[in-house]
Formats: sequence, C-alpha cells, structure tokens
Amino acid sequence: MIVRVKNLVKRYGELLALDHLSFTVNDGEVFGLLGPNGSGKTTAINCILSLLEYDKGEVEIFGRPMRPDAYDIKREIGIVMQNVAVYNELTVYENIDYFCGLYVEDKKLRKRLVEEAINFVGLKDFKGYYPKKLSGGLLRRLNIACGIAHKPKLIILDEPTVAVDPQSRYKILEGILELNRLGATVIYTSHYMEEVEQICSRIMIIDKGRAIATGTKDELKAMITLGEKITVESQHITPGQLNRLRALPHVMEAEYKNKQLVIKSGKGANNLEAVLDFIKKEKIQYGKIYSELPTLNDVFLEITGKQLRD
Amino acid sequence: MQVFKLCLRVLKKNIPSLLIYVVIFLAISLIMALAHTNEQEDALFSPSKSNIAFLSAEETPLVRGLKEELGKVANFVELPDDAEALQDALFFREVSYILRVPEGFSERFMNGEQVQLEKTIVPDSFSNAYLDLKIDQYLNSARLYVEQIEDLSQESLVQYLKSDLSADTPVELKTNGVKAADHVYTNYYFNYLAYSMLAVLILGTSALMLVYHDQDLQRRNACSPLSPGSFNRQFFLAILVFTGLTWFLMVIFCFLFNFKNLVNINAVFFVANSFVFAVCAAGISFLVGNMVKSESSIPAVCNVLTLGLAFISGVFVPAELLGSSVLKVASFTPTYWYVAANNRIAALASFNYASLQPVFSAMLIQAGFALAFIAIALVLGKKRRLE
Ligand SMILES: Nc1ncnc2c1ncn2[C@@H]1O[C@H](COP(=O)(O)OP(=O)(O)OP(=O)(O)O)[C@@H](O)[C@H]1O
Ligand SMILES: [Mg+2]
Repeated sequence: MIVRVKNLVKRYGELLALDHLSFTVNDGEVFGLLGPNGSGKTTAINCILSLLEYDKGEVEIFGRPMRPDAYDIKREIGIVMQNVAVYNELTVYENIDYFCGLYVEDKKLRKRLVEEAINFVGLKDFKGYYPKKLSGGLLRRLNIACGIAHKPKLIILDEPTVAVDPQSRYKILEGILELNRLGATVIYTSHYMEEVEQICSRIMIIDKGRAIATGTKDELKAMITLGEKITVESQHITPGQLNRLRALPHVMEAEYKNKQLVIKSGKGANNLEAVLDFIKKEKIQYGKIYSELPTLNDVFLEITGKQLRD
Repeated sequence: MQVFKLCLRVLKKNIPSLLIYVVIFLAISLIMALAHTNEQEDALFSPSKSNIAFLSAEETPLVRGLKEELGKVANFVELPDDAEALQDALFFREVSYILRVPEGFSERFMNGEQVQLEKTIVPDSFSNAYLDLKIDQYLNSARLYVEQIEDLSQESLVQYLKSDLSADTPVELKTNGVKAADHVYTNYYFNYLAYSMLAVLILGTSALMLVYHDQDLQRRNACSPLSPGSFNRQFFLAILVFTGLTWFLMVIFCFLFNFKNLVNINAVFFVANSFVFAVCAAGISFLVGNMVKSESSIPAVCNVLTLGLAFISGVFVPAELLGSSVLKVASFTPTYWYVAANNRIAALASFNYASLQPVFSAMLIQAGFALAFIAIALVLGKKRRLE
C-alpha cells in the first residue's frame, strides 16, 4: 500500500471541501481522481501532502504517517501542481536542476537526471529558454519535468493537461504511462473522463468532497443500470411508435428529439438486435444507427443526477 | 545551497536594471571628481574672497569692528532682509554665508552673557570654514578681554582686538584651508550613495522577496525534503551577501576616483557610516520587498522612495537650503542621519570623544532604524505567509 487516506475532513469556513474522504492507492497503480471543477481534488492532494491543515482524518504514505516534517517521505514523492510553479528568472534547464537539486545532492547524478527529464518531456530544443517564452503546452511539460526529474516512487499529478494542445496532451499521457511502467505509482487528477479512462487502472469519482464510486472503469460502468445507448437517425416517428418502443423489455428510456431517437437499454446481450427488429416491424425510415457503451459521464450522471462537465 | 544559488540567479537576471543606477551614479561621481580637481587647485593657489551678507539689527562699535575684520577675507553683498531673497541668493551662490547679528547682541556680550550670531551657509565651502574661524577668533578674543578688564568700553575693546588679530591671521589660513578642502568630494560621493545604493538594494531585494512570497512556488518548495528553516536561512544569507557586495563595490569606486584624499581617519568614518547605512538600507529594502505585490510596481516604489528620501534629507540639495519643517520630517528618516553624519565627518579636524559623539549618535540612530524596519518587515512577512 503506497497511500492510505482515512476519513479526511477539510473545511474552508462554512464550506465542507472534503467530507470523510477515504481511499487507498496500491503499489504500481495509476490511480485516477475524477471530479468536476470545485469537487475538492486539489484540496485532497494538498491535504495528503500536508500542505494544508485538515480538520480530521489520517494520511499514511509508504506505511508511515505523513506530516509537514516527514522529509524522508517527501524525498520519494514527485509532485506536479495544477498551477505551474517554475521560476521565471531561471531557464528550462536551471528550473529542472533547481527542483531536482532539492532532492538529489550529487551533482553528477543530478546532471544525468536533468538531461533525462528534458528528453523525457521533449524540451531538448528549449533548454536555454525562459518560461515566459514557452507556449502553454511546453510550460506544462516543464512543470512535469520539474516534478519527476528525481525519479520518485510516487508521482502526484494535479490536472497536468489543463489548457494543453492535443499534441502535448498525448505526449504527457504517454509519458505518465511510461513512468508507471518504469515502476512509479501515480495519482492523477482530472475532470476529463477520457483521459482518466485512457490511463488509470483504478478510478475514484468525487463530488462535493465525497467519494461517490471507486473501481476500475469496467467496475464503475457495471455499477449502473445503463448497458447500452442506441441512437437512430430518423425523419419521422409517431408517439404511438415511441410508446410501443418504451414497452419493449430492456428499454429503460426512449426519447425522440431533433430527428434523433435515443434509446437507453439495460444490461444484457441483443439490445441492438431487438431495436433493429422493432424498426423493421414498424417500417420506420432511418438513416444511421449506432450504439455506444456507457461512459464515466453516464456513471456520474446516474449517481449524481448531473453532468460531469457543464 | 540550492536556494542560495537560486537567489543569485534571480539577482543575476535583474542585473541590467540594477546596473542603470550604478552606471549613472559612477558617471556623476566621475564628473564630480574631475570638476573637483579643478576647484581644489583654485582654492590652493588663489584663495579668493567669499561673498557674505552681513545683516545687523544694531550699529555698535563691537559690530562695526567685526565687520571690518571680516572685510579682510570677504566681500559684503547687500541683500534685502527677506527670507526668500536670502534663500535665492544662497541657492544661486550670490553669497555663501549669511551672518545675522540679533538685537541687543553687543550689550549682552559686554555683560558677559552667552550670545550667538545666527548663520546660514552653503555647505562644504572651504571659505566658509575660514569665515567661521575668523568670527570665532574675534569673539573669543573679545570675550577674554571682557572677562579680564572691568568696565571696558566697546571702543577700547575694538582697539585691543585690532592690534591682536592683525598678527596671527595668515598662519591659520593655510593649514585650515587645505584640510577643509580635502573632504568635499568624499562628502558629496558618500551623500549621493544614499540614493544610488538604496535604489540598487531595493530593486534587488524586492525581486528576491517577490520570488520568496510566490504562493505556488512556496507550496511547491514545501513538497520537497528541504526544511522551511533551511530555506529561509539561505534566502536571508543571499540578501546579506547581496547587500554586502553592493556596499563594497560602491564604496570601492570612491577609492579609485579619489584615493589620495582617503588615506586619513575621516575616510574610515565615512566608510563605517556608509556601512551602517547599508545595513539600514537592507532593512528598508526588506520591508519594501515584503510589501510589494507585483513585479511591475517595484521600479515606481523604488524611485519614489529613494528620490523622496534623498531630496528631503539633503542629498541633492544642501540641507541648509531646505525649510526647517522639511528637515523635521526628514529627521524621521535614516537618510537624514546618514547625511548629517557625513557632513560632520567631513568637518572633523580632531578625533576626540566630544567631536565624534554626534557622528556616533547619528550612526546609532541609523542602526535603530535598521532594527525597526527589519522587525516590521518580519511581522508583515509572517502575516502575508499566513494569508
Ligand atoms: N483557499 C480556499 N479558501 C476557501 N475555499 C476554497 C479554497 N480553496 C478551495 N476552495 C473551495 O473548495 C472547493 C474545492 O476546491 P478544489 O480546488 O479542491 O477543487 P478542484 O476539484 O481541484 O477543482 P478544479 O478542477 O477547478 O481544480 C471549491 O468549492 C473551492 O471554491
Ligand atoms: Mg484543482
């Protein structure tokens, strides 16, 4: 067990930012913390790292209690903050060297680590640049390089891809998986469900400071009743047809809007087949038909009654 | 020493803006040094008569005698007795000395009371020192006669004085004249330092403190295995080194321009005083650095503060030309005491406790300011970190 959080409570005055949050992160995992803006992800990270005082709860990292002066634990953690934290007066190389130097004293070793980090995030051609001269995506990459250069056992990334172009985003996600393959345990927060689905082996969805579901993405999708979402493009459907469709077994919901028929069906095989049979029988004219499996957004929607992203 | 190195890099990035102040300072100092060499030669080879405004509220034999005596070494300029006209005359150097004899002076003097003449001068002029000497001589000798001879009339007193004073004047001229001239340039240089050094220190220290107070960076550093104590120590060490280095460099230049006038005890006091001021300036800079919130406001704050302090404390304009209310305000600033100490040091001819005492107290006051600034800054800094 790398991280164990138990009943964490954090208040900002009246606001309850973390409400008895508990979870564990196992060795070798990429653990995702998924939640909408303001759900408490950053607050949770800051409490775990003892950057914030919390009202209640326990945090253990590497089996030891985490405290502000637990320097031996901090030495093994790499952190990439949501707000880019680099020195504008230092070049790309000097920034990475500075942060790496807080963990690694040996100069020769450090030089190697810094070079590796620069290559890893693809900033080789920008070594001498000052942060002000870097694009948003490159700046994020620098922020990541500063966090991971010392080869930590545990890497915590708080929304490292906010406002990043697709190319940089792809590179960052690939890089995180690579670090994980090399042995690091990763905690990754985001409000992009696609990212979390793509790289996380286990996911915790949080809302208003509460954990609402935890598991692998398949486990999470299995928690809800929705099995499949089928969309039929059609010029005309009568209310009678819609009612008959709703009466079919497995069909949980059917909605006709903007010339699109959306059918949500429960778990089980042959859902699509049943819908196709129905269309043929009713002689409905149709354009395209496609079927989607549920997303984490559907999971969030079904549990909280609202969209993950507004 | 990662953090210390970081601070040096931050300072290095700020060198261009610091250098502007240093270069202007050195250029002006150099020009003054060149101008001063000429002036000095004049003073040595043709001791010219200085211009004096002699305003007397009474016409007595004693006052007439004094005026006659001064006439040997000064030209009298007629000026209306009006504060503004007198200030202008001083400012445009029509006169370098204004002497005022108050009503009832002669009578009280003859009665053996302690009475004073009022003077207003352009500072640092060697001819003024000579005039002071002349006046002191006249009055001191007169006092001796008054004390020794009962019922002495003013007319006979003036007769005695006339024969006495004609004897020994020329000897005094040479020794005093040369000595006083020596520290004029040094005095200017060190006074002007109060502006330039403070500007450089404020700019550099604020840049450091801005980095120090950046909340995102503070959080990021707090994630590392470096203790906050070690972090702070390295930061303050960097500020100290920066202050020391700035002071050292700016003082060293004076020796390059003006070496022959600096091999004396006065120079030791100039340097010591500037060091105390540097510590105080570091305190001011530390305080300013704890208060500025954005990079763009630093130059403005720096200019207002350094120029303002320098003006009211008599760095650019001699203190004698400033109104007394301005000087009263200025005395609540360390710059005023620094300049006052410099001016005293320039006039030092002997180094006994009595003559050094005002210099020491001015330095102590500056040190007190330094402590106060640092204390306030620490309190503010703590508050800011807790926000
Ligand atoms: N210093 C603070 N003082 C008061 N309230 C705060 C403070 N920091 C955060 N909050 C509030 O706490 C809640 C959780 O904020 P937090 O930053 O942890 O959310 P987040 O999940 O990281 O959001 P985002 O995706 O926007 O980064 C929000 O409602 C926020 O407004
Ligand atoms: Mg956040």
